[in-house]
Amino acid sequence: MNKKCLASLLIAATLALAGCDPSKSNANFTGMGPDGTPLPDNGDKVDLSGIPQNARPGGDFDPSKDVDYSKLASDTIYFAFDSSTIPGAERTKLAHVVDWLKANPNHSLFLAGHADKRGTPEYNRALGERRALAVREYLAGLGIPASTLFTISYGSDRPAEQGDSEEAYAKNRRVQIGVIIKQ
Amino acid sequence: MTDLNSSPSLFRTIVFTVLLSSFCLSAHAQVDVSPNVLVRVGITPLSGSEGKMATEVLSADLKRTGMISPVSGGSGDYIASGEVTDSGVAGKLSKKSGEQVFSQTFSGKPRAATHEFADAITKAVTGLPGFASSKLAFISSSGGAKELYLGDIDGYNVRAITHDGVICASPSLNHEATKLTYTSYKSGYPDIYLIDLASGGRNRIAFFPGINSGPSFSPDGSQIAMTLSKDGNPEVYVMSASGGSPERITRTRGAETSPSWSPTGDRLVYSSDDRGSPQLFISSASGVTEADRLVTGNSYCTKPDWSPDGKLIAFTTRIGGQFQIGVFDVASRNAHLITTSGGQDPAWTADSRHLVYSNNGRLYLLDVVSHQSLPIETSISGNGEPTVSR
Repeated sequence: MNKKCLASLLIAATLALAGCDPSKSNANFTGMGPDGTPLPDNGDKVDLSGIPQNARPGGDFDPSKDVDYSKLASDTIYFAFDSSTIPGAERTKLAHVVDWLKANPNHSLFLAGHADKRGTPEYNRALGERRALAVREYLAGLGIPASTLFTISYGSDRPAEQGDSEEAYAKNRRVQIGVIIKQ
Repeated sequence: MTDLNSSPSLFRTIVFTVLLSSFCLSAHAQVDVSPNVLVRVGITPLSGSEGKMATEVLSADLKRTGMISPVSGGSGDYIASGEVTDSGVAGKLSKKSGEQVFSQTFSGKPRAATHEFADAITKAVTGLPGFASSKLAFISSSGGAKELYLGDIDGYNVRAITHDGVICASPSLNHEATKLTYTSYKSGYPDIYLIDLASGGRNRIAFFPGINSGPSFSPDGSQIAMTLSKDGNPEVYVMSASGGSPERITRTRGAETSPSWSPTGDRLVYSSDDRGSPQLFISSASGVTEADRLVTGNSYCTKPDWSPDGKLIAFTTRIGGQFQIGVFDVASRNAHLITTSGGQDPAWTADSRHLVYSNNGRLYLLDVVSHQSLPIETSISGNGEPTVSR
C-alpha cells in the first residue's frame, strides 16, 4: 500500500470516528488544525470562476475601432477544436507579449477570442470568451495586472480565413492580442 | 445515442406513446389521433374576394400539423367553411353528422385571420394547440452583416427588424410575439437588447463587462435567462425583463450557454462544458443549486430547447463531425437523434411536435413523429438561430 492510499484511509477513519461522536458534530467543521483542534469556518471562499472582469474601458472607447491588432499579430494564440486550453507550443508567444509590455509600458491589451464556424453560434461565443479569458489568466499569472487586460468574444462571426477546410478552421480558433490605442 | 436509421419503429413507438398520453389527458380531444390515421377535414372553398388565397392557406396550415389531412368538399370527418372579408374570417367547423363544433369570427387581415381559423380547427380536432399563427424570428446574413428578421412561421411576411450592420445573434421571442430579445454588437461589445414589437422601441438591458448573450424569455415573459461573463467566466444568470440586477444560476469553471426554460418556469436547461465537452444540465431557475446532468450518450450537446408540454428537450449534437438534432425524453431520460442530414439550433412549436431548425443557412420545419423536414421558404438566404412564438 502506498503512502497516498494510507493517508486516505487515515482521513476516512478520522472522519468516520468524528461522525460517531455527537460532541464533534459541527455543521461548520472544515478540518483539523496542526494541533488537532477543528478549524473554524471563517467564511472565506475561493471563487472558482476566475478573475472578475474589469469595467469596460471608459470614455468613447470603441472595441471595433480603437484596438490595434497588427502590433502583436504574430503572437495570435491558436487552439484545438472545442478547447480553451492554451497549447504548450503557443505559450512562448505569451512570454513575448510580456516582453513587449515591458518594453512598451502603460499599454492595455484587448484579447479577442474566436471559434471556428462549426457548431451552435451561442456556444462558440462562450468558447471564444473562454479562450480570451484563458489568455488573460495566463498573462496575469506572468505578472501582467489583470486590470490592464480586457476581453471580447466574436464567436464564429469574424473568421480570419473563409472556407470549410481544416486549415481554415485551425486559423479561426484563436485569440488575437490587440493593443488598446485610445482609452 | 441511437441512430434512428437503425431503429425508427422503436423511437416512433416512444413518441407516439408520449403524444397519445397527452391526448388522453385532453378534454378537448374530439377523436383519437393515431400515427397512421389522419383526421380528415373537408374544406368547402372559403367565400369572399380573398377566398381562394385563404382556402389554400387553410389547407396548407392543416396539412402542416402532420395530424390532419385536408380534403375537398364534404368527404371528411369534419367540414370547414367560412367567409373572408377585409376585417377577418367568419369560420365554421361541423362534424360529418352536421353537428356544429364552432362558429367563430377571427379578426385581422385575411391571411392572419385564416391562420387563426386553422389553429382553432387544429385544437378542436386534435386537442393540441396549432402553430399556424406563430411568428418566427431568426438571424440572416443575407445582406452581408447579420441582421434580425421577423416573419410568419410559413415563411411569409419576412422582414428585417434591424439595419445596424453589426453582428447580431440569438433572438428569443416571448410567447405572445410582442417582444424580442437578442444579442447585438451595436455598442462594439456583445450586449443584450429588448425590442417592443408594437412600438419598435429598443432598449439595451444587459451590458456588463464581458459577454452578454443568448437571452431567453421565461414562459410568462417576466424574466430573461442569459449568459454573462462579468464574474470571470461565462455563466447563466436570470434577470427581470423589466431590468434590475441579474441572479446567478451556475458557478463552474466551464462555459454555460443557451438557457431554455421549463414550461412551468421553475427550471432551466442549458449547455455546460465544465466536464470537458459541452453537455446538457438542468438547474433550478433561482439561485445556484446542484445541476442535473442529462446523459445523452454523446459528447457534444448544445442549444437545448424545452418543449411547451415539458416532456421533451431538443438539442444540437455533433456526431461523426456532423451536427444533428437530438431529443431527450425528460421522463424516460432517453435521447434519440431525429435528423440524419444535418441540423442545429432547434426551436419547438406550440404543439410540442414540430421543431424549426437551421441547416446550411436554410430553415426547416421538422415533424418529430414522422421525421419529415420541410424547408421554410423565405426569399432570403444565410438564415439561422430560429425562435418561434407560441
